[in-house]
Amino acid sequence: MRHICTRLLVGAVVGALTLTSPAAFAKTPANQLVIATSLAQVLSLDPHQATEAKANEIMANLYDRLISVDSSGKVSPQLAESWEADDKGITFHLREAEFASGNPVTSADVVYSITRLLKMDQASAANLKRVGYNAGNVEKLVTAPDEKTVRIDLSGETTSELLLYRLAMVIASVVDSEEVKSHESNGDWGNGWLRTNSAGSGPFTLNRWTPNEIVILEANENYVGGEPKMRRVVVRHVPESQVERLMLERGDVDIASALSASDLATFNGKEGFEIQRVPTGGFYVLSMNAGKEPLSNPKVREAIAYGIDYKGMEKAIMGPYGRARTVPVPENFEYAIPSPDWQLDVEKAKALLAEAGYKDGFTLTLKTIAQTPRIDLATAIQASLGEIGITVNIQQGNGSDIIAAHRARDFDLLIPQTGAYMPNVLGSMEQFSSNPDNSREANNAGNFVWRSAWDIPELTALTAKASLEPDSKKRGEIYVQMQEMFVAQKPAVLPLFERFEPIVVSKRVQDYVGHPSQTTRLEGVTKTD
Amino acid sequence: MKELSLGGLTRRLVHFAVSLFILLCVTFVIGRVMPTDPVGAIVGELAEPAAYEAMRARLGLDLPLYQQFFIYLKGLLHGDLGTAILTGNPVARDLTQAFPATLELATLAIIISTVVGVPLGLVAALFRDSFIDKFARVFALIGHSIPVFWFGIVGLVVFYAWLSLVGGPGRVDVFYEGIIEPTTGLMLVDSLLEGEPEIFWNALSHIILPAAILAYMAMAYITRMTRSFTLEQLNQDYVIAARAKGVGPARTVISHVLPNIAVQLITVLAISYGNLLEGAVITEIVFSWPGIGQYMTNALMIGDMNAILASTIIIGFIFMFLNFAADIAYALLDPRTREVAR
Repeated sequence: MRHICTRLLVGAVVGALTLTSPAAFAKTPANQLVIATSLAQVLSLDPHQATEAKANEIMANLYDRLISVDSSGKVSPQLAESWEADDKGITFHLREAEFASGNPVTSADVVYSITRLLKMDQASAANLKRVGYNAGNVEKLVTAPDEKTVRIDLSGETTSELLLYRLAMVIASVVDSEEVKSHESNGDWGNGWLRTNSAGSGPFTLNRWTPNEIVILEANENYVGGEPKMRRVVVRHVPESQVERLMLERGDVDIASALSASDLATFNGKEGFEIQRVPTGGFYVLSMNAGKEPLSNPKVREAIAYGIDYKGMEKAIMGPYGRARTVPVPENFEYAIPSPDWQLDVEKAKALLAEAGYKDGFTLTLKTIAQTPRIDLATAIQASLGEIGITVNIQQGNGSDIIAAHRARDFDLLIPQTGAYMPNVLGSMEQFSSNPDNSREANNAGNFVWRSAWDIPELTALTAKASLEPDSKKRGEIYVQMQEMFVAQKPAVLPLFERFEPIVVSKRVQDYVGHPSQTTRLEGVTKTD
Repeated sequence: MKELSLGGLTRRLVHFAVSLFILLCVTFVIGRVMPTDPVGAIVGELAEPAAYEAMRARLGLDLPLYQQFFIYLKGLLHGDLGTAILTGNPVARDLTQAFPATLELATLAIIISTVVGVPLGLVAALFRDSFIDKFARVFALIGHSIPVFWFGIVGLVVFYAWLSLVGGPGRVDVFYEGIIEPTTGLMLVDSLLEGEPEIFWNALSHIILPAAILAYMAMAYITRMTRSFTLEQLNQDYVIAARAKGVGPARTVISHVLPNIAVQLITVLAISYGNLLEGAVITEIVFSWPGIGQYMTNALMIGDMNAILASTIIIGFIFMFLNFAADIAYALLDPRTREVAR
């Protein structure tokens, strides 16, 4: 309580003083881009290991992939200048390029990189393993016919079009095999070294990374697209939102992300700054544990879907962070269906609970990471579910506690968030609609639906069918069916809001466009004086 | 010098070793029973169970608790503090980066608080109940009762954003980052060693505000203690005798009172310095200061045991060292112990 009062007081003082502050601005140098954010989650900068969003943003500038996907979902060349897909696989033709070390980029590097990803078998590998590539078959499926050609055969569990999207992810970054091999120790694939160093062909190289303090990227002179305009990119860890706001106002940083909603609001319409709502393709989700009473009952889950004030929360809490949406596909994606009529309807929710045999309600525990805006979402859900007779106790924790509870199915309700790995229905929805084996023994803790113990064999089969359908029109029809079936089954992983990452960008920065899969490239960014 | 005899020293070292061992046991157990998941933090949220188990085994977390502790102690005796999960570096290397940042901040803070706090306490005691005494008391009370988080943010708003008098968060401006190669790890010293006066002034402008805020907090305690020690002495017969002889108030304080309170005062300063060196977590977070307080907090968040234990040892060590130093000072300054020694 005392903490909250202090924060309010500080907010008031900051507001009052900055309103009257004279315009005395320091300036960041015109050839350096300074980004303030929270680096607390960045634990590794090895592209075949790390999956966290902030780490992705950094690695996307250290490494090239074969191809990239722009924010509208179009595939464009990166290290591969062209490619041909047939019904057995894809053949990539590499362009002439060099790594920062001076070594040429060859097909051997590409094969090594994909092999390394799958053999190291970290969380990032799941993105390829899900479509049938693994440490056992990679040598057979990914080959190098000559120095500048890479052939990737289809595994039988994906189409070539969907495989392209996966190869555009940061996890498929191409590393300098010679350099990495020279740092191997105890068969660690050079991971010990690459975690804190870079060996790529991207526009920047890693100069320094001090965890929870700073990341400094240096322009790569050998970059194939020409030396980037920014000589250095400095990403600074600023854990306090109010401090971040001061630094941005003062001109000591150019881009601020991870601002709190109230600090963000002060930049609304402010001269010299622009707020970008970067879509993520992901969601804030209410996960319910369908493995135990009463949430195993679809009627109870439907009652909860009717017991949440989506619109009210969107207005009061989400603001720039999200938009109400109860189907796990962003509204602007092709083949997205409209949200069902789930909205706060106390009478209907109570009736559903009575039908399910819970006329007098019950008590649930809601676990959440103590972080904006999820903590506010938890409070609002507690209030509105209270109206329909469900008592909710909130239990806050840090990231690792809550994730561990989620993985262990040790929760009633929990508020996780998702992201989309590719800008289409499958990319955002697959994690909501696929659970091959729901048994406890399967212990498939990496699977989002498994964690909620929600058994959906039909929907899982349909999802698998969509990822194998080569005809895009037929695939579109399956996409629509998947979403309808998802709604009809009263999801135990209920999407609440489409998730945006709001950032504030100084007007001095030109051509910075936040990418929906956190792969914003910085080589084209310039700054005015 | 009884206090510095060999037997005394050995006894003290044994005491220290035992308390450090108990501290280690307690920290280890607390750290392990905390529901944090260092493995999950490394392999990521979506990792397959096999990858999760493999990493768990690699970190040795699948072994029974007592074995993990035993392995840790064995490494420790060989001078190996282990590898930090968060940074992937040897903990010892991390600490050589984080600790100097805190050391620099704490040292500047203790200097400021001593230079201002001790005279203020003396004057307040000397002119008891006068305006200046009341001012000193209120001043100290404010420093003691207002949260450092508030001071930090308001200090930044006024002196950094508004008046542009000091540098912002961090140890230097971003475009100076990475230029100075750490020799001592103290930015103020290293910049001068490398002949970069510009960076020295920049670093000074960054450190002065957090140091001043920490100094104010510490000063609250130092001023109050100095005042009460002095008041106690002022009622002694020797002071009345000195005054009766016609010695002026200033000289009474400087030549008679100050030496008498020096011993107690040094204990107070040592405790304050120790507290500052522990790492002022909130100050370090507000000012994005990469010190040991932030390092330890981040390690605690993910249950990074090696980093937590090593930081605990360092802090335990600092307290012992300062206690020890205070004891030596005690022996040197107290005329009675000097007599005994002769």
